[in-house]
Amino acid sequence: MRGAAFRSLMGVAVLATLLLGPRASQAQGTVVSADTANGCLACHAGQREAATMGVHSQHGVRCVDCHGGNADARTLPGGHQGHFIGSPNKVQTAELCGSCHSDPNRMREYGLPTGQLAQFRTSRHGQLLFGQNNADAPTCTDCHGTHIIYPPYDARSQVYPTNIPGTCAHCHSDEKLMAKYHLRTDQFEQFRSSAHGVALFQHQNFAAPTCISCHGAHSALPPTGTQVASVCGQCHALVDQAFEQSPHGAASRVGKLRGCLACHTNHGTEGVPIDKIGATCDKCHASDARLHQMGVDLQHSVVQASLDMESARQAVDALSLAGRQVGYYRFRYQSALTYYLQIAQAQHSLDFAKVDDLARRVRSVSVDLNNAANTSREQRWEHKLLLLPVWFLSLSAVVLAWLALRALRRTGDDDHRQG
Amino acid sequence: MLGRAWEATVAWGKRFWDDLKASTDASLLAILRFVGLLYGRIDTRLPIDQAFRKSLRHRLSRHAGWRHAFGGITYLLFMVLVVTGVLLSFYYRPSAEEAYQSIQNIVSGVTLGWLMRDVHVWAANLIVLAALVHMGRVFFGAAYKPPRETNWLVGLLLLFVIFAFGATGYLLPWDQWAYWTVTQGLAILGHVPLFGGALVEILRGDPLVSGATLSRFFAIHVIVLPWLALALLMLHFTLVRKHGVAPPAEAATEDLGPSDESGVPFFPNHFLRSLIVGVLVLSLVITAAALYPRDVAAPANPAQPPASLRSTWIVADVSRALIYYLGGWGFAAYLLLGAVMVLLPLFDRSPERRLRQRPIVASLGVVFFLAFAVAWAAGWHLRSVPVLASGELTPIEQPLAMPGPALPRVAPVQPAAQPTGTSSPRGPQ
Repeated sequence: MRGAAFRSLMGVAVLATLLLGPRASQAQGTVVSADTANGCLACHAGQREAATMGVHSQHGVRCVDCHGGNADARTLPGGHQGHFIGSPNKVQTAELCGSCHSDPNRMREYGLPTGQLAQFRTSRHGQLLFGQNNADAPTCTDCHGTHIIYPPYDARSQVYPTNIPGTCAHCHSDEKLMAKYHLRTDQFEQFRSSAHGVALFQHQNFAAPTCISCHGAHSALPPTGTQVASVCGQCHALVDQAFEQSPHGAASRVGKLRGCLACHTNHGTEGVPIDKIGATCDKCHASDARLHQMGVDLQHSVVQASLDMESARQAVDALSLAGRQVGYYRFRYQSALTYYLQIAQAQHSLDFAKVDDLARRVRSVSVDLNNAANTSREQRWEHKLLLLPVWFLSLSAVVLAWLALRALRRTGDDDHRQG
Repeated sequence: MLGRAWEATVAWGKRFWDDLKASTDASLLAILRFVGLLYGRIDTRLPIDQAFRKSLRHRLSRHAGWRHAFGGITYLLFMVLVVTGVLLSFYYRPSAEEAYQSIQNIVSGVTLGWLMRDVHVWAANLIVLAALVHMGRVFFGAAYKPPRETNWLVGLLLLFVIFAFGATGYLLPWDQWAYWTVTQGLAILGHVPLFGGALVEILRGDPLVSGATLSRFFAIHVIVLPWLALALLMLHFTLVRKHGVAPPAEAATEDLGPSDESGVPFFPNHFLRSLIVGVLVLSLVITAAALYPRDVAAPANPAQPPASLRSTWIVADVSRALIYYLGGWGFAAYLLLGAVMVLLPLFDRSPERRLRQRPIVASLGVVFFLAFAVAWAAGWHLRSVPVLASGELTPIEQPLAMPGPALPRVAPVQPAAQPTGTSSPRGPQ
């Protein structure tokens, strides 16, 4: 029985060899590479990963599409025939990429924009590369990778949002390289500790801006002085609107003021601490007593509003700990928070009447909440008054019982002994 | 005119009082009789009067004194817990959705609701102390020796029931402290070999502490444990009544049962003493409740452990301190010590009652009670420890760790976990 099963298995194996064997040996005889599709890898075996990974290989872009040559040739001279260009230089690279990526017909099926090369030519990088043939300037592959190119939404990509600052810093933190162009190298460190950097790196918030959000990606250039407010305003729309209405906005439009950068820094993007508002105004207005006083008054309003917010928060905390239902008080707190945040907008418009009005509203809510907390505290204190009758009654009972016990002992009815 | 009316009223009151006193030798009973309309009819069929009078006249051993008060205090606190617990259950809603709001309502809406709740909390703490002092008196006074060894075991079962009451009641407020303390407690229980994991599964009823857990804890707290406690208490008291108070250590021999002639009557002598102690204990509980109410923490949030965890129950304090300072093995060793004390009557059967002649037992007891006191103080010192999301208290294998910022223990907790959940204002820049 077992013998029969073994024989039939052997039969299947022999049949399989007969059917499949000739084809395998035929392939082996004619093709030098195991990869029948790509003859380049016969010699360039080290590039096998490059030819099989990334978005290009996935969509059928092969070695010869960029490097030229003949992938079907069987010999080295044959392979390097045709429009073989070997390793393209930086200018060639940009143009090579553009040969497909600037073609709307080819990019249509991937839904990709086609203006990158044109934008790149306008950038400082492109000007250096195409205008001066400067090899320091980056080309497409310096940011996107050479052979294994991942789409920007792939975390392995160098242009994935959290990787972008590092990609830029690869050159822009290089002091030797940047010294040639008189550029600073501390932007990455400043950005990393800024509000934007914290949101991006620590909170993984991809709505946070990276380098390219302000400078542009392919058209990378620093915004000019008059552009700064508009660039920041793309996200900080309400503050920008308020700023444009203010005298500072008017000065900024004619180039007398560096827009937002007059008070804030570009890469550090730190807010002005509320207790430094006056000092910030004094950087320009120290000599004018009236304007100096305005700065001091503004600082006072904002600091007072922030103290009121803190005291409102403590009041809600106290109410909650005392077991009050705090839904309504939280709602009031949120409305105060809204007013408080609106102060920022009013402050940028230099509309001091509005700032004072908002600060007054914050204060009004804070006072209400504190009154509620005080009422609750007083009610809790009143609980202690209950102790007066309790102890009066209990001590009276104890004294009476004690007297009764003593009477018993005197009459000899209680011959109880301690111990 | 007015003076004569007053004199007449006083005279009438005096006559009434004398009649009342003359009608029975127990004036307390007289009031009952005066009030009860049907009393006479019932009494002819069921001689309550006789039984009551007999129990009032019951004579206790002349050795019974103030130091025997702690058993009574424990029982009084138990009854306080029953009464306040029933009142609380009128307003409490045992579901994850409503529990927290119902506690807020009890504390700030219901008339004297705060008193009910805080007296319940404080009595739950003090009953542990009273029970332990009672246990210590029995232990050092050798009152667990035959024939009272059964009652020692019953008493320890009652202590266990008290612990179970506290542990299940702890979850019911359904705030952050309650939720995460129970999460920690169940994580600790899960480390018990053999049955710990299964027990946790049964108690929790869900992969996380949830509404299912709340239902189970509530049912155990208000249905299972009260009946268990009632049965054990009846047994405990019956045995006390049968065997009487243990003789003092100096008495060489055991005289079984109190001789009715030589003892001190319960009424009025012991009744007055109990009255003094009971009234003082009640006042103490109310005072503690009024002065130190238990705060209401933020609502339970299974996704976010609180930055710190305030303990509100002695036993939680003690076990947390033991685990924090001694690690899991230290805690297990303490439990083993407790188990040895439970089984002590099986080994220590000699009639010797003087403490000096029982050095091993005495040192055992001193270590047990001293460790409890020290751990309690340490737990008070800890006050609040950070929480791991897994509910693990602290790395168990960490021996004799002292608290301090250098301890590599806990993942940083977001400072956003404020009690009210309100966000702190940012600068308006």
